Amino acid sequence: MKKRIVIVGGGIGGTMTANNMVSKLGVEIRRNQVEVMLISNSPWHYYKPAFMYVAFDMYHKAELRRKQATLLRPEVRFVVDEVEAFEFSASRLHTRSGAHYDYDYLVVSTGCLPAPERIEGLAEAGDHFYQFEPARRLAQKLRTIERGRIFITVTFPKTPDVPHQCGIAPIETTLMVDELLRRRGVRDRVEILYTYPSVSQLLRNCLFMQKQTCEVLPQIFSDRDIHFKRGFTLERVDPDARVAHSSEGDSEDFDILMSTPPIRAVDAVINSGVSEAAEDEGWLPTNRRSLQLKGHPNVYCMGDTVDLPISKAGGSCHNQSPVIIDNIAFDLRQGATPAVYDGRVQAIAQMGLEAGMPLWYDYDQDVQPTPPTKVGGLMRKTFNRGVYWATARGLV
Amino acid sequence: MLTATKPQDAAAVLADPDTAAGLRDLAEHLAPLLQTRRLHNVVDLLSATSDFIDMADDQLTQKLAKAFEEVVWAGWSAGNALRSASATAADSEPPTLWQLSRQLNDPEVRRGLFFVIQLLGAVGRQVALEAEIPEDD
Ligand SMILES: Cc1cc2nc3c(=O)[nH]c(=O)nc-3n(C[C@H](O)[C@H](O)[C@H](O)COP(=O)(O)OP(=O)(O)OC[C@H]3O[C@@H](n4cnc5c(N)ncnc54)[C@H](O)[C@@H]3O)c2cc1C
Repeated sequence: MKKRIVIVGGGIGGTMTANNMVSKLGVEIRRNQVEVMLISNSPWHYYKPAFMYVAFDMYHKAELRRKQATLLRPEVRFVVDEVEAFEFSASRLHTRSGAHYDYDYLVVSTGCLPAPERIEGLAEAGDHFYQFEPARRLAQKLRTIERGRIFITVTFPKTPDVPHQCGIAPIETTLMVDELLRRRGVRDRVEILYTYPSVSQLLRNCLFMQKQTCEVLPQIFSDRDIHFKRGFTLERVDPDARVAHSSEGDSEDFDILMSTPPIRAVDAVINSGVSEAAEDEGWLPTNRRSLQLKGHPNVYCMGDTVDLPISKAGGSCHNQSPVIIDNIAFDLRQGATPAVYDGRVQAIAQMGLEAGMPLWYDYDQDVQPTPPTKVGGLMRKTFNRGVYWATARGLV
Repeated sequence: MLTATKPQDAAAVLADPDTAAGLRDLAEHLAPLLQTRRLHNVVDLLSATSDFIDMADDQLTQKLAKAFEEVVWAGWSAGNALRSASATAADSEPPTLWQLSRQLNDPEVRRGLFFVIQLLGAVGRQVALEAEIPEDD
């Protein structure tokens, strides 16, 4: 009987996994023993990190997206539809169009969604750069602000030891704001205040989720006259008074509130009922080594939707994808799942508008910060505009 | 350890016995290149690389990255088409002429043929450009 592998989500995790899966299982696919299907709710694939650049007028829409079908190898059966319900125990899923699909293996890579509405007043008064339209609105403000205060907040999921999306993004964008305002010649009239919550995964009262980076940040910020404050956990925003209140009892006024908002899993994942996450955030309980969904060994989870303590980043997907593919291929061929994820993530942080800092870490080893350089910046820019699409196609 | 902001004191780095040991090893390793002046080439290469990095700006990286994507895309789609066509051709009995001509009923086959004809037209137009040698002025 033909085996079916279904991958849900045509973001970076799902796309590279579909392409590399058909490559790995080329023989079985050719013999018609295996079918690989990708279901995504959008015919478009967005390069999400570029939303950050949209906020700084550095990207056009056509440059940051491609038609999903043009990124897939022809052996992948691509269906544009939205999964509405997962029935993990029956190995079946249901879609919005009314179809249902049975599977032998499932890979869930449905990402996460910003949820500013989870903090009172934030959706009305705050801005963010984690989606295209909000980033455009923020760009409009950053382009025109003449004086006042830009206030930066970071919200972590309520589920213990789960990070927010793309850990380094708040620092990247803070440095970019500083440089943009200098270019515009208004920096001396605009204060930048960067804040970080009291609890960031396992750390307390830091400026970043990893200790070594946290230790070098005060100097980086002071050099650029960026003010910073620890222990500010955004609790409520007063849109009329333009004041942000923290659960530590502090308040700060602002002209622009640039936030890393709360996040959650997508509805279908939350509604599947298997999550143990706090506040209905919906993260899938994932085996940190095999990446199997706990209690459902034929289901694998990756990317932003997992409950692991590892960065919600494309760089994580890039290392998780081969583990999942290997485990599925081994299981099909030999009935074993030996591949292990070590928590590895790599990225090139954008440090200001020009410089870049390559970084990597895993479950055991934190990021070792190195001096940002122009070469790092060029690597990041080349990745953004070219290498990313080769990665999605499974070539890198 | 390197830090993003605070370069280590150069004197302290030089006084460090590990630095001295590392430099001694390096000198030994470099000796053949140094003695034959071949290290000069490497230094020239470094300096050219550095010039390139200095000159590279946003526009250049955008163009290079786009060229990379276009070349990769062309190779990738051609590879995809070749792989899928050769798998079908290898796994089927060779068609009779009649079966082959019936393939033309498939609109995607006609689209592919149309593409090849258009491609030939574009190639022809480019070849024609080569043929026109303007008069000397
Ligand atoms: C501003 C910003 C900057 C970032 N910077 C970096 C960076 O520098 N480096 C880095 O590594 N990462 C970065 N990231 C994070 C990176 O983009 C994500 O971690 C990555 O996209 C996660 O991949 P994923 O496959 O889990 O989910 P996504 O890429 O979000 O894809 C999810 C896909 O699932 C589809 N989908 C959702 N629900 C359903 C459903 N019910 N049915 C069918 N389809 C569905 C969606 O349409 C989407 O295509 C950044 C993100 C943002 C927003």
